[in-house]
Order: sequence, then structure tokens, then C-alpha cells
Amino acid sequence: MATETGTSADEPAETTGGALRLDHNAKEWLLSRGLWAVAGALLVFLWIPLLVMMFLSFAVNASTFFPFRGFTLAHYAATFADGALMTSLFHSVQIATLSASIATVLGVLASFALARYDFPFKEFYRTFGILPMVIPGVVLGIALLIYFRALLGITPGFLTVVLTHSVYGFPFVLLMVTARLYTFDESLEEAARDLGADPLTTFWDITLPIVAPAIGAGFLFAWIRSFEDFIRAYFVKGTMDVLTTSMYSMIKYGTAPKMNAISSLIVFVIAAVLAVAMNVGNVTGYVAGTQGEE
Amino acid sequence: MSVDTPRRSESLRERLVSQFASRRNQLALTTTPGLIWLLLLLAAPLTFMVTVSFLNVNDAYQIVWEPTLQNYGQLFSGDGPFWETAFFDSLLLSYFIAAVTTVLCLALAFPLAYLLARRGGTTFKVIIFLVLLPFFTMYLVRAYSWYLMFGPSGVINSALLKLGIVSGPVTLFNYGVPAIIVGLTHAYFPYMLLSLYASLDGLDFSLVEAARDLGASRSEALRDVIVPLVLPGMISGSLFVFVPALGAFITPRFLGQGKVLMIGQLIESRINSLYAIGYGSAASMFIVASIVVAFAVAFRYVSIEDLGGA
Repeated sequence: MATETGTSADEPAETTGGALRLDHNAKEWLLSRGLWAVAGALLVFLWIPLLVMMFLSFAVNASTFFPFRGFTLAHYAATFADGALMTSLFHSVQIATLSASIATVLGVLASFALARYDFPFKEFYRTFGILPMVIPGVVLGIALLIYFRALLGITPGFLTVVLTHSVYGFPFVLLMVTARLYTFDESLEEAARDLGADPLTTFWDITLPIVAPAIGAGFLFAWIRSFEDFIRAYFVKGTMDVLTTSMYSMIKYGTAPKMNAISSLIVFVIAAVLAVAMNVGNVTGYVAGTQGEE
Repeated sequence: MSVDTPRRSESLRERLVSQFASRRNQLALTTTPGLIWLLLLLAAPLTFMVTVSFLNVNDAYQIVWEPTLQNYGQLFSGDGPFWETAFFDSLLLSYFIAAVTTVLCLALAFPLAYLLARRGGTTFKVIIFLVLLPFFTMYLVRAYSWYLMFGPSGVINSALLKLGIVSGPVTLFNYGVPAIIVGLTHAYFPYMLLSLYASLDGLDFSLVEAARDLGASRSEALRDVIVPLVLPGMISGSLFVFVPALGAFITPRFLGQGKVLMIGQLIESRINSLYAIGYGSAASMFIVASIVVAFAVAFRYVSIEDLGGA
């Protein structure tokens, strides 16, 4: 993808000789080493706290290293035995699935509108659609809480969290699917129609399979956003608990052992899913917004 | 495009096809559901919040429909002058923390994004995996993992003590502003990285080589060629760090341990313990206004599509 020049460390130094040239190479070497050192330090920064947490999840002493008292799986056992925690996990999975499904249906439709048609206030619609992603969780959470309670008279609970997250997930689907549609070769659809397919057949046999990976990625993103959201759910959840709000109270009341275990489990699961996803589809492309290579 | 034949066998399929043959219907079908959702669950709540900020609400969530500026007055009234009120203090502190976090993310992400844009293959895959995994890990979990690291008896301090490097807990590694900045930088760093990477990846590096061939020094090439071309990525990345950092709640809560009050925590505490809906709404307006300003500035340099990056 990127054109290689002298900045890569592993390439053998050019053998053109000459004092000035060598100097240049030494400089390049130092610069690229510096770049790698910074990169390495950053990766350590990103990983250290997570690794420490995972280590502590297997340690008898759960909140700090010293004095170290040995390894145990007791924290994991206690986590799985915690009925309330497992219930909230179940809620989170249900809410994430429902809200991501709604977001996906709405987002896919809107993406087609934005990518295929011209209509008044189109840019406004697009901006409006991206807004839920941009508004801080505290603001959206409070606005929806007040709205549900004071204006609509709905008691916060399961439904309000699903509604809230369905709006929150919408932009992620919208961004990914429109990006795919913009790079879509519409002559494929024309070809299908020329060959006698009606619009519905064209949609099912041509359009959908091509856009499907982006829809899947959008759904996955919306799902994860809902699953990991704390602040919006915190305001509109009522008396029900989702995983993040349970975890929040666990930290607040200082039960580190279970918190380490459930957190580490989440990292393990996400690592597995991400490793698979990266080898199946162009996850990085979707995430970085650089579409095109399949 | 619609090849309408006179024959009318009324199967569901054909009815559907003829129904959506017109672009008008297609447009209505694709725009309406999302629009309704956004109007009902985004525009209406936000409009209502603006309204409520000018009204009184009692603790049973009942609204007194009389316009008032009382909520805004409350934000800035206390024992002392307005700049000593809890609200003003935490607003300023939040700007400061969000700004420092943004600058840190920018400075840290640039070298890594540059490296990613210049490398392909396995190296790229491994690095991006190592970056994305923390990114996809629950935000709450990441804030919590730093909570374990910091604190007077946290991992960092206890390790330093054990190794005999220090004799007592180091204040820098206690809970407080530095801990919050580290936590937020960790949380939002990937947004910056991905935004920068997206623009650096689209950068034509032969331009840099051309500049170097024409005698530009390395820093001149960076300043005059790379930075202007990557500016949209830098701006959208900064937005995606600054905005959430400004409204952060969990990170300051855990890593501040009551010593630091950011605006998000202040609003939450007023709403959850005092049911001060009016106060919370009025305070939220300041966050919203800050974001509108940040975006207005950013849109002078980037388009909405460039913001799709993260």
C-alpha cells in the first residue's frame, strides 16, 4: 500500500558510499529508529493497564501487585456465580442486539437516500444523522431522560435504553454504508436490469451482496457502541441494570476481584472477534474510513 | 428503467416492484424512517432540553410553564463572584483537561500514524490490531484499568515503593488531574490515530520527496507539505478527542476520586442527587454551545464527509 523509501528500518542501507551519503543514511536510520521507539512506547502505553488488569484478574490479591499472594481462578468463578451481574449482561446483549438492528434498518435506508438521490436539505439530513455520534453522552442521556419522563411520561427502563441506543448507533451504520455506496459501481445494477432483472431482483442479487459487508460492519459497530455505552444507559435505564451500570457500581463499592475478571473476559472475547474479523473482512478499512480495497 | 407491461398478475412481488418504480416513492421510503427517528429521539429531546433550561421543573419532573432565567442565574451564583462558582470552575477545568488531552493525542498519534501509512503487510496488521483491541475494549474497562494503576496504593506507586525508588507514594501518580488526562488520552487516542492515518494514507509521499529534492529540510517538508495536507485529519481527530473529553464522566469520576469535578460529573450529580433538571439543562447548554463553536471552527477547514473517519 505505502511506497517504501529509506524510512524503514529493516531495509539494508544503500551502498552508494561517500561520506555525505553515509551521514544521510545514519540520519535516516536514527530517525526511523526513533519513530519505532515512539511507536513501541505508545503500544506499551495502550496495553500496560489492560495487561496489569488481566494479570490481577488471576491474582489472589486483586487490586495491586504487592504483596503478591499467588494465582487463582476464584475471581472468575465468583463472577460467573454472580446472578445479578449475569442478568445485567443478558440485558446488555438484548439491548445491543435490538438497538443495533433498528439502527441498521434505519441507517441502511438513509444511506441509500444519501448516496443515490438528490433532495432538498440533503446536507442537513446528513449532518443531522451524524449528530448522535458527536453529542456527548451526558448531554444526550440527560436530554432523553427529561424528554421521556417529563414530556412523554414514559418510565425509564428497557424500552428507553433500546430507543436511546438505536439513535446512538444510527450514525455508525450511516457512515459505513454510505461510504460503501459511494464506491459502488452502478453499472453492475444497470447490467442486471439490461439483462432483464426487475428492480427487486437486482437489489437482492446485486446490490445487497455488494453492500452486505458494510452493513455487517455497521451493525457490529452499533452493537459494540450500545454494549459498551455507560453514560446514556445510566440516565435512561430506570431501575434496570445493564452490564456497564453494574460494573460501575462494582467499582464504586470497591469489588475489584469480579471487576478484573469480567473486564478481562471482555478483552479476551473482543480479541478473538477482532482477530477473526480482521482476517475475514477489511475491518481497518471500515474503521479508518478508507474504503475501497476488498 | 421500469418496463411496465399491460399484463397485471397481482402477486405481492410485482406490486412491490411497481410501487417502488417511482423515484419519489423510493426517496420517501429511504428518507422517512430515519428522519422520524431522528426527529423523535434527537431533535425533540434536544429542543425540549433547551426549553427546560428556561423553565422551572420540580422534583417530580413536573414543568412549570413560565419562562425564567433562574437556571442560568443559578449556574453563576454562589457566595463569591461568578468565577468562583462550582460551575464556572469545572467548566474552565474541563476546557483545560480536554485541550491538554487533545494536544497530547495529536503529538503521540502523529508518529504512529506516519509509520502505519508508510508500512504495509504484517507489520501494519499487527500494529493496527494492537491499537484497535484497546479501542474496541469497553471504555469503562479502560478507565477502570487506569484506576488500578493510579492511586496512593495503586500499581505504579506500590511498584515504585517496592523497588525502593521512592520512599512514599508519589503525588503525581495519585488520583487527580494528571491521572484523568492520562486516562482520557488513552481512551480517545485511537480516534486521533485513525483520523490521522486516514489522511496520511491518502497522502502522496512523492510530494514530500519532491520537496526534499528541491532542498527543503526535513522539518520544512513536514511543516510546508505534510501538515497542510493532513490538516483535515488533524482537525477531525482533534474534534473527536476534544468533544468527548469535554463531556467525560467516568474517567474523571474514577481517576479524580472526588478531588476533581469536571462539567459532566457536576451535571450528573445535580441531576441524580438533587433532581435539578433545570440546572442540568442550563449547564448542558454550555457543553452544546462549546461543541457548536468547535465544529463551526472545524468546518472552515474540513467538510462533513471528512469527519466520517472515526
